[in-house]
Amino acid sequence: VPEIAVRSLDTALLTRADTRPKGRHVTDHAEDAPLSVADLPVADDRDLAWQLIEAAGDVIAVNGTYAVTTAAHVETVLRDPATFSSKRAFDALNSPLPLVPLAFDPPEQTRYRRILQPFFSPRMVRPLEAKLRSDLRALIEPLLDRGECDFVKEIAEPFPVHTFLAFFGLPDDMIDQFMDWKNGILGSTDASGAMPENPAPEAIELYTYLAGLVQERRGVAGDDVLSELLNLTGDDALTDAEAIGLSFLFVLAGLDTVAGSLSMGMERLARNPAHRQELVDDPSLVPAAIEELVRLDPPAPFVPRVTTEDTTIGDHIVPAGSLVSAYLAVANRDPAGRANPLEMDFHRADNAHASFGLGPHRCLGSHLARLEMLVVYEEWHKLIPDYEIAPGADPRVRWPSGTLGIESLPLVFPKRQR
Amino acid sequence: VKLAISPACMGHGLCYSLASELFEDEDDGYGTVRRSGEVPSDQEDLARRAVSNCPEGAISLS
Repeated sequence: VPEIAVRSLDTALLTRADTRPKGRHVTDHAEDAPLSVADLPVADDRDLAWQLIEAAGDVIAVNGTYAVTTAAHVETVLRDPATFSSKRAFDALNSPLPLVPLAFDPPEQTRYRRILQPFFSPRMVRPLEAKLRSDLRALIEPLLDRGECDFVKEIAEPFPVHTFLAFFGLPDDMIDQFMDWKNGILGSTDASGAMPENPAPEAIELYTYLAGLVQERRGVAGDDVLSELLNLTGDDALTDAEAIGLSFLFVLAGLDTVAGSLSMGMERLARNPAHRQELVDDPSLVPAAIEELVRLDPPAPFVPRVTTEDTTIGDHIVPAGSLVSAYLAVANRDPAGRANPLEMDFHRADNAHASFGLGPHRCLGSHLARLEMLVVYEEWHKLIPDYEIAPGADPRVRWPSGTLGIESLPLVFPKRQR
Repeated sequence: VKLAISPACMGHGLCYSLASELFEDEDDGYGTVRRSGEVPSDQEDLARRAVSNCPEGAISLS
């Protein structure tokens, strides 16, 4: 246990000011020893990091913001957009235009979701399955004779990123540029959701590119999501600002989250051969395994909101205008939610979790994300059932960061017998 | 017994993935009950599983 992380978390324990008549105040210990989320051992032992946060309390002060850590509080925050607004909650991403639909509240957000949801529904994404399987097999094929790979660089990143670019309608040959923009913007964020000291210059570059793209693509027919969105008419027609704000968000979400999930999920499977063998022996377990892996490792585990009025969360007073983050990875380990929440178990009968969010902002891409993960875990284990982390490799989660993923996961496996 | 989905449904899609005998998806991805929510007696366990796995607690069984 890294001592520094434990110490700084101790300082995050709420002052139990039971003498205060109106309830306990959440105290930021900035003066003596500030809780720095950067000190948490997420990179090396994220399970421990989430336990340390859970032990710190149900509502904790973090870098001038508030973190809620129990399943009940996360539900409260994410299901009450009137009190916990999204409007200013994503300012840290430095987008010149508000992100559609993420940085809106109902009823405006409801209109956006009504327009967008059919494009991302199971009925729209299911027909992609055969193509996704052949794309993935094409990525795995050259690895079979090599007996080693970097799972992140060769599968977890390229597969969902190429899929997203084609699905949404962005030029595939710009993949490196999109990844640089995405990494710059998300890399400037941290778990607190607070404004970064140095907002990412990539935000302006991505915005400028998208503003030009939206102009270019208006009126041009195409069967990708962006073309169809730009050609909507009547009440559903989107303004340039809406289309740009939406594309900005989709680039960030589409290029980061599935890659992050796959990287952390495969690392967990590589470290737990008995669980991996279960998937090899019984591929019908894969959907349940996906839910469990995503429960344990949400790729976007800190969901911010800003309070519109003074409010209470549990016993804690939170003033108006506070940034409150729902800590999904901690809430998913809440003992109130399931037995043995710290264990990985592909046979859970009840496994409702918050990794795709809750309430009106539920992850729009969740159906595409689940399909991509299904294809990867099924095809990989069919073709490469036996693998382990390369000797000497030390895969680490990127940290501090507002979204999570492993940047390099070297795997070794028996070469194909000819 | 009968299943119902409340307006708290946000279209996560767990119900029709877990229990396609009892639920189906609409064009926009929201779940809807089959057979007006009637649950065949041999599928009551499955119905209970759908209820407990809904992330929004939007499914009820009566």
